[in-house]
Formats: sequence, C-alpha cells, structure tokens
Amino acid sequence: MQGFTLFDFDPPGDTIALRADLRAWLSEHQPQGDVVRRANCWASFDPDFSTALGKAGYIGMTLPERYGGGGRHPLERYVVIEELLAAGAPVGAHWIADRQTGPLILRYGSEEQRELYLPGIARGELYACIGLSEPGAGSDLAAVRTSARETADGWRVNGQKIWTTGAHFSHVILALVRTEEGSERNAGLSQLLIDLDTPGITIRPIVDMAGNHDFNEIFFDDVLVPHSALVGERGQGWRQVTAELALERSGPERYLSSHALFAALIDAAGPDPDPALATLIGELTAEMWTLRQLSMSTAAKLAAGEDPMVEASMVKELGNAFEQDMPRRVQAIVDCGWDDESDLARLLRALLIASPSFSLRGGTREVIRGIIARGLGLR
Amino acid sequence: MSAVRDMLCDTARAVFAEAACEGLAPVEAAGFGLLLVPENEDGLGGDWGDLNAVLRLAGTLVPDLGVEELMLSGLPEASEAHRAAATVGLMAGAMGQALTLSIEHVNTRQQFGRPLGKFQAVQQSLAAMACEVAAVDAAAAAMAARLDATAFGAAASGFEIAAAKLRANRAAGVVTAVAHQVHGAIGFTREYELHRVTIPLMRWRSAHGNDAYWAGLLGRRVADMGARGLWESMTARAG
Ligand SMILES: Cc1cc2nc3c(=O)[nH]c(=O)nc-3n(C[C@H](O)[C@H](O)[C@H](O)COP(=O)(O)OP(=O)(O)OC[C@H]3O[C@@H](n4cnc5c(N)ncnc54)[C@H](O)[C@@H]3O)c2cc1C
Repeated sequence: MQGFTLFDFDPPGDTIALRADLRAWLSEHQPQGDVVRRANCWASFDPDFSTALGKAGYIGMTLPERYGGGGRHPLERYVVIEELLAAGAPVGAHWIADRQTGPLILRYGSEEQRELYLPGIARGELYACIGLSEPGAGSDLAAVRTSARETADGWRVNGQKIWTTGAHFSHVILALVRTEEGSERNAGLSQLLIDLDTPGITIRPIVDMAGNHDFNEIFFDDVLVPHSALVGERGQGWRQVTAELALERSGPERYLSSHALFAALIDAAGPDPDPALATLIGELTAEMWTLRQLSMSTAAKLAAGEDPMVEASMVKELGNAFEQDMPRRVQAIVDCGWDDESDLARLLRALLIASPSFSLRGGTREVIRGIIARGLGLR
Repeated sequence: MSAVRDMLCDTARAVFAEAACEGLAPVEAAGFGLLLVPENEDGLGGDWGDLNAVLRLAGTLVPDLGVEELMLSGLPEASEAHRAAATVGLMAGAMGQALTLSIEHVNTRQQFGRPLGKFQAVQQSLAAMACEVAAVDAAAAAMAARLDATAFGAAASGFEIAAAKLRANRAAGVVTAVAHQVHGAIGFTREYELHRVTIPLMRWRSAHGNDAYWAGLLGRRVADMGARGLWESMTARAG
C-alpha cells in the first residue's frame, strides 16, 4: 500500500523576505477591478499583468538563468504561487506555460526548443495550452486519435482537440498525438509543440455555462509542422504526459480556487460572528490549513525528485471537494439573495456556477480516486 | 523520520505488544511516562513529534489502554488542549489501522467471483477514506511541529491544535463509516478486530472538544483576525 508520505517543506533562502517583497509588489501592481475576477483567478486572463509579473521575476522562476529563468528552487516558486492565488491575482494568461509547459520543455525538449520558447515563457509573454482531450477521449485519454504522420517535410497533423483552455490567446499547444500508425491505447503516442498560427489550424470558442469564453475546440486539417516540433522521445508521449499531470495536479490552485469567497465570508462576518457562521469559518479554516500541509508536503516530494502521483491525487481530491463544497456551504447559512450586489453575493454566485468544473478539469474525481485506489493496491 | 525516532517506535511496538495482554505496566516500566521530560531532569527529552509517532502506534495497537495520560504526565502542566493534541495522534493511528484492515479485507474477501477490491464502488470509497487518513496524518505532523516550535505551549499552538483536532474529528466520521461498510457483517462482530479501532474513534471524536467546540473557537479566532490576518498568520507559522 502506498500511503501519503510526509515531506518537510523547507525552501532555501529567506522565505519571509520573498513573501514580503511579493506582497509589496502586489499591493502596487494587482489590478483593482471587479472582485469576482479574484475568484478562480488562475482562469483570469490579463496579459499586462503577466508581463509585469514576468518582469518582476515571478514567472519561470525555476527555469535556469541561461533561458531567462530565475534559477530558483521549486519551493520558492511554490511560495510565490500560493501568495498570488491567495491574493486572487489574474494569473491565467501565463499559468499553464509557467506551471507545466516550461518545465516539460526543460526536461524533455531539445536545446533548440528550450532556446526558442523558455525565455518568452519566463517573460510572461508566451502562453501555452494543453492539448489532451478529444471528443472521443475524455477520462479515457488513451483513446486519443489525432494523428501525426512523419513526412520528408515534417509532421502532418490531422484531428481535433477539445476543451482546450486558453487556446484562443495561446501561442503554442502541447498536443498529445498518435505518431505510430495502427498503434493502440497508450502506445505510439508522442507530444508535439505546435505554433498555433500554423496554417490549417482552426480554433473555435466554446462558451461555458457562466458565459465565459475560456475553453475551445481546435481542428487540425493537414497541418504541416516541422520535425523539430517533437518534444522528447517519439512514442513516449504517455510517459511524458503522466509526469506532466503530477505537476498539474499537486499545486495550491487545487484548493484555493474559492479562496476569494472564503476571504469575503470572513470579512463580512466581522469580529463577532453568530454561532453558525463561526462554526462554518472554523471548519473551513481547519480544512484549508490541513490542505496546505498536504499540498506543501507533495510539492516538497516533487522537489526532492520523487514521483508524488498518489499524493498529488489526494491533494486534488480533497482540495477539489473543499473548493467545490465551500460555495454550497456558504449558501446554506448566509442570507443573501441570488441577485444581491454585495461582493459576497456576487462571489458566491460566480463560484456556485464555476465550481462544477473543479472536479472535472485536470482529471475527474472518479479518475483521481482510481489512481489513489491503485496506490492502495486495489487495482 | 530520524534514527532516534525509528528506535523509539521499534521499542514502542514491542512494548505495546506486551501491553496488549498485560495492561499499562510494561509501558510504564519502559519509561514512556518520561518521554517529554527533559534529559537534564532524567527524562527522555523527546519532542512532540516523537510523542505523536508513539501515540500513532498506540492508536494502532492499543487504542483502549489510555497511554496518553501516562505520556502527558511528563508535562509540568498538561491542559485540555494538550490532551486534545495527544488525541489527534491516537486518532491518526486508529484511522490508519482501520484503512489497513479494510484494504486487507477487500483484497481477500471474494464475492461475485472476485475480490471486493476489484469493484469500482469499493475502490472509490476506500480512496476517499485514504484521503481522510492522509489529512489527519498531515494535520497531526504540522500540529506537532508547532508544539515543538513553541516549547509545547498550548496557547501559542492553539490555532494548530484546534485545526488538527477538528480535522481529525471530521475524518473520524468518514473513516468509521467506510471501514464498516466495506467489511460487511464480519466487521460488526465482537470477534473481528475492526471495532477495536472504530469504537475508540467514535469516543475520541467527542473527547477533549467535539466538532462544534473547536469549530466555534477557531471560527471566532479567525473572524477576529480577518481574512488577510488569517493568511498572514498561517504563512508566518510554517513555510
Ligand atoms: C473548465 C475545464 C477546463 C479544461 N481544460 C482542458 C484543457 O486545457 N486541455 C484539455 O486537454 N482538457 C481540458 N479539459 C477537459 C478535461 O480534462 C475533461 O473534461 C476530463 O478529462 C473528463 O473528460 P470528459 O469531459 O469527456 O468526461 P467523461 O470522460 O465523459 O466523463 C463523464 C463522467 O463519467 C465518469 N467516468 C468516465 N469514465 C469512467 C470510468 N471508467 N469509471 C467511472 N467513472 C467514469 C467521469 O468521472 C465523469 O464523472 C477541461 C475541462 C474543464 C471542465
């Protein structure tokens, strides 16, 4: 049985100063717009903010300096992103590139790819999206059918991706494609890093139930991409994607999506809340504090070079339940109408509507529990 | 874990095995009452992390023995908050044991021609249960670290003790429910050992502060800090 191994969260350097500097920077640079944009803020797209954040050295922190990165420790980056998320900063534009595409290019990419993409990612100006899901491949990711055939001129890509967050503002997509004809399931897959302005690519918006345009569908119609677009090893796409998913699943964003609501609830409660409200605040505090310990421990395990697949899944499972149940629990005890204009009411409404996606994106609850069950030795 | 703590745990395992038949005497004789007493006062000079590790084993092996009172006797002034903190360690151990028993059971018991653990419904419940166990372990460890950073100060560690006991209380409900559900009728018998950990878990949930007690306390404290204050205090304490 593989349980949860606790790792000490011990970033090098002066973490207190790192936090203090970032808080000071945020008080000057964080846009003061609508409070609702602070909810689920890693889906809030603001390229100006991303550029400023990159300039200040808070993006690509763990990339080596020769690629424009900060050469910092992964746990220093953790401190920075948890501060950004707790503040509700609009980090959506660069989020995916910073969190997973950059590190993946560094680990598996060619020297040419590193030089081409990493500096832009670290500046907060080059955005990436994740091309995994297809109409026929959701939870069953190994059913991916988008194909890439090698020709003398490069790869010919045909097929379709869907639910691709940020494709409409991203510069590149890291797509999981079937490079080996006749291959099945998780064999014969590879990752291609494709510039989204390549001819033959069509991106169509999909408007979500909140009325936002965050995700898209992408069509590849005989798209010719250079040989050099292959990331890592041909045929090893499945293994690489699995490693990428550990980065995607373990971060503090998996429990902080509703943090703006919690903050508004605490501040609206005032120093002397009624007993029901105090109880709810107490429960949510205990859960959030515990999740933070789990998430930090998982980050520390990842930073130590070990594979935290099961731990990351546990953080995602508990974290998603926390951030998804929170709006419902708040609604159950706070007396405010659906159309009220208070900050609390508007955040509540926005998060009630956004929260069904929390246990879908990045792997559904059932898939995540399946991974945990495998770790327990049940599958 | 440090080598010293590993050794301590090995000793505790052996002593608790004896204690399971003979009662508290072997635990006393082995000097566990001196765990928290400083070395210069002829104690073992252990920290709360050590205590937590031993209590976790006690919760696994001898949940009904009451070793926590003996072990806390090493503190000059053990308060209700200290007792709550110690209970979290016991609860973490008992929950871990409930999970271990459940996994063993579903991997051996067959129905419909295969082990129960091959059924997805069973896997999903046990995954949820494992998350609760992990959460309590993490809460206990973080609380212990805070107690060690504050010379066992119950007031200075008040936030962590409240959060950890509350989190453990809430996990107890899920863990006992899932453990019994996947065991079926055998888990409901006097003979089978599951009740040896689940009944103590039910008892500990109301001991030294139930959910409402700690949630109210913590909630009022956080309301007084304000949202920003909560974040600042949480991040100032660890990491
Ligand atoms: C907001 C949002 C953003 C997203 N962004 C991206 C992105 O940027 N890139 C990308 O590639 N994808 C993205 N996705 C897609 C996401 O990864 C998929 O939604 C997810 O993998 C589930 O696939 P599906 O929607 O096809 O659901 P399905 O796989 O059809 O599942 C529907 C339900 O059935 C359950 N189910 C399916 N199979 C099983 C099984 N074997 N056992 C038990 N239950 C099962 C699922 O758990 C789920 O509850 C995004 C999704 C959302 C909601």
